[in-house]
Amino acid sequence: MNKTNKKDWMLAIAFVVLAAVLIHCASIIMRPVHNSYGSTWDAYLCEPEDSIDVLFLGSSYAYCDWNPEIMFAASGLTGYVMAGSEQTPSITYWYLKQALKTQSPQVVVMEGSSFFFEMYQNYTQINLDYMPRGIDRARAILDAAEPDKRLGLFFDLYFYHDRWKELTREDIAKLITPASADVNKGYTYVDNVYDTKGSTPYHREPSKDTAAYEKHLEAFKKIAELCGDNGIDLIVTINPTFSQCSPEIYDKLEKDLTGIAPEADFMLLANSFDEIGLDISRDLYDGGHLNFYGACKFSEWTGKMLLGKGYTPREQTKEDKAAWDDGAQYWLNLRDTSQSAAS
Amino acid sequence: MSFLSPAYFAFFPVTVLIYFLLPQKCRNLWLLIGSWFFYACAGPEYLPFLVGSSIAVYFAARRLEKKPQKALLVFMLALFIGLLTLFKYLGFAANVISRTLSVFGLDWTAAVPKLLLPAGISFYFFAAMGYLIDVYRGKVPAEKDFVKSALFLSFFPSLLSGPIARADRLMPQFEQLHEFSWQEARVGLFRFAYGAFLKLLIADRLAVMVDTVFASPQSFGSLQVIAAACAFSIQIYCDFAAYSHMAIGSARAMGFKLTENFNTPYFSRSIAEFWRRWHISLSTWFRDYLYIPLGGNRRGQTRKYINVLIVFAVSGLWHGAATSFLVWGLLNGIYQVIGSITAPLRARVRSALRLDDNGKLTVLWQMLCVFVLATVAWTFFEAGSVSGAIDVLRACAGSTLWAAPLSAMGMDKWEFAVAFVSCIVMLIVDILHFRHGDQAERAAGSPWPLRCLLLLALLFASLIFGSYGTGYDAQSFIYGQF
Repeated sequence: MNKTNKKDWMLAIAFVVLAAVLIHCASIIMRPVHNSYGSTWDAYLCEPEDSIDVLFLGSSYAYCDWNPEIMFAASGLTGYVMAGSEQTPSITYWYLKQALKTQSPQVVVMEGSSFFFEMYQNYTQINLDYMPRGIDRARAILDAAEPDKRLGLFFDLYFYHDRWKELTREDIAKLITPASADVNKGYTYVDNVYDTKGSTPYHREPSKDTAAYEKHLEAFKKIAELCGDNGIDLIVTINPTFSQCSPEIYDKLEKDLTGIAPEADFMLLANSFDEIGLDISRDLYDGGHLNFYGACKFSEWTGKMLLGKGYTPREQTKEDKAAWDDGAQYWLNLRDTSQSAAS
Repeated sequence: MSFLSPAYFAFFPVTVLIYFLLPQKCRNLWLLIGSWFFYACAGPEYLPFLVGSSIAVYFAARRLEKKPQKALLVFMLALFIGLLTLFKYLGFAANVISRTLSVFGLDWTAAVPKLLLPAGISFYFFAAMGYLIDVYRGKVPAEKDFVKSALFLSFFPSLLSGPIARADRLMPQFEQLHEFSWQEARVGLFRFAYGAFLKLLIADRLAVMVDTVFASPQSFGSLQVIAAACAFSIQIYCDFAAYSHMAIGSARAMGFKLTENFNTPYFSRSIAEFWRRWHISLSTWFRDYLYIPLGGNRRGQTRKYINVLIVFAVSGLWHGAATSFLVWGLLNGIYQVIGSITAPLRARVRSALRLDDNGKLTVLWQMLCVFVLATVAWTFFEAGSVSGAIDVLRACAGSTLWAAPLSAMGMDKWEFAVAFVSCIVMLIVDILHFRHGDQAERAAGSPWPLRCLLLLALLFASLIFGSYGTGYDAQSFIYGQF
């Protein structure tokens, strides 16, 4: 290689690297800020390593129903919700794989309503787009995204480049502002109260697509194996909801899941309002999900239930403990204030 | 496989890389395989047409070289024209016959089967016919190597929408050894990036406005319809020039030089000049294989005018099987005939007004006239029907200047701003090209910080402000349908 040729190669490589870096920066600027409704990866990655006892997975039933800070206040167990809107089990598997890179929970609690979803639901773009860049994200896209969404998921500007018209200073500030942990711990606050006066739980039809169900079970098998390989217990729950499938369907799901992973615990809580202490006239957000008051009760109940199963809070550093205490206090104050305002 | 698809961004670097890694004797075969793969991506069912044409052309050319039989040439030309008619014009012809008979009170309708139209057939059939005529005339030798002969028709950069290949220019390039050259690669990259800029920032953006206004011209004020008609003149230029830039750029990166297809056509001072600068590979094809054989300008003025009208009528039909394309072509022919007839009169007017023939004012006035005349003709091209075009032209002359809000034209103020700035950039590049020649060569030869900056600017302008991705209707290249 002569000198001129070498210089040309160096320049070409430098140009490609520079273009790639600039495209990456442009992607960060153009991608909308997303810090609610699940897929809160930036905040999750800021949690101190190996500080989480319980990892909650699933769909919106997970991120609306469990508030890890309230669970911490009741049990001392630290938790985090890594769930996404209408998240299918195949995406949940990749979430778990990614999440275990920085945390080593004792138990994974997966809300199982997603087993009744279609092959693809409505929020694949958000659920996968905010995952950390890397080989697992690429594999998740190929495994769990609709074919027509893959291009945009691999190349963000395809989805978001036309946001140039609505860019704000905050969008550009994302480039230099580091992410930080927050008090939500993946929980999404919703405070609407669903009016259930005179009504009973309504019937929900699961997807009729048997191929979709098979794929969900396949993903569950991988989730169970991943938990097993990492010495993590697995609990699948159907959270308290007014949107319920028939008992036969729940029976079949339990049979299928425990058939795949006999060591997993299946907890059908769809109708366990009284056992948990939920007030259906006050604690439901939209019939499907719990609101903040319901989430507080359910999170306390979950913490105590996990303590009863023998899980114990791991030791935290002084700073981490203080941060969790502060976070818990924030939510407890909010609950008490809301309750006194309501009464 | 569009030039602006992820598939092409994977296909092209791999093809080029392997091309340069292979020994010379294997390179043409590799290009042929790549080209056929490229064509199969447009529709595998089309491939037999291309392969069949390549085989027929190879044997016919060999035969014509050995023994220049007019009958064989006529047979081959009739075969290609017949197939084109079958695929492209059968429905149109049946419709014309039916309408003509109805004038005489005869009711006749033919059940025309819906045949598939192989992608790029008009382009490679014209390349094939030109080659056979050249061999028959003894202008070029028949290619003895089937791979090179087939590659001439199938070369992927120019396969789907031209520039229409000419044997005397392209065939010898398959003999040459193309060493990888940074300068050639850079020129190719600049041509490609500028093509993407024209397509994504201007053509596809203006297409939204043009389609909206042309769909319902009566809903808009005359100024808005005139703006849309002018926008189509710019859109079609940017769309087709973009394709040509990308085709030429792709070939150039491998060391091949394709025929230039555009040379700042809207800077022409007459419609005749416009057609020497617009779709050059097609214009020169018609000049060499139709206009001159018809007698050109050697048989008197009247015959010359008839020849011009014939050529432009055929050119119109080449673009599409519809009366509106025929009218578009004829209109361009009529412009030329009238231009030629009135040339002395216009010279006298200029002289009376003491205007210099080559003065700035004269030149600008002539360019403006060309743009207006071309725009009127393009209206027939875009409207889809003669009555649709007349509606648009009527709306241009409406008494209400502005009838609908800007947003009703399909673009918001930001989109207009981007389109406007992009058109200014295009205008500057065209002026530089007009005065100083190929700007891609100049850009590629500039100091490296400047060329990196230029390339990044083109890249990011397309990536950020381009019309692509979610929320946009992907527009195919207009000439892709011909």
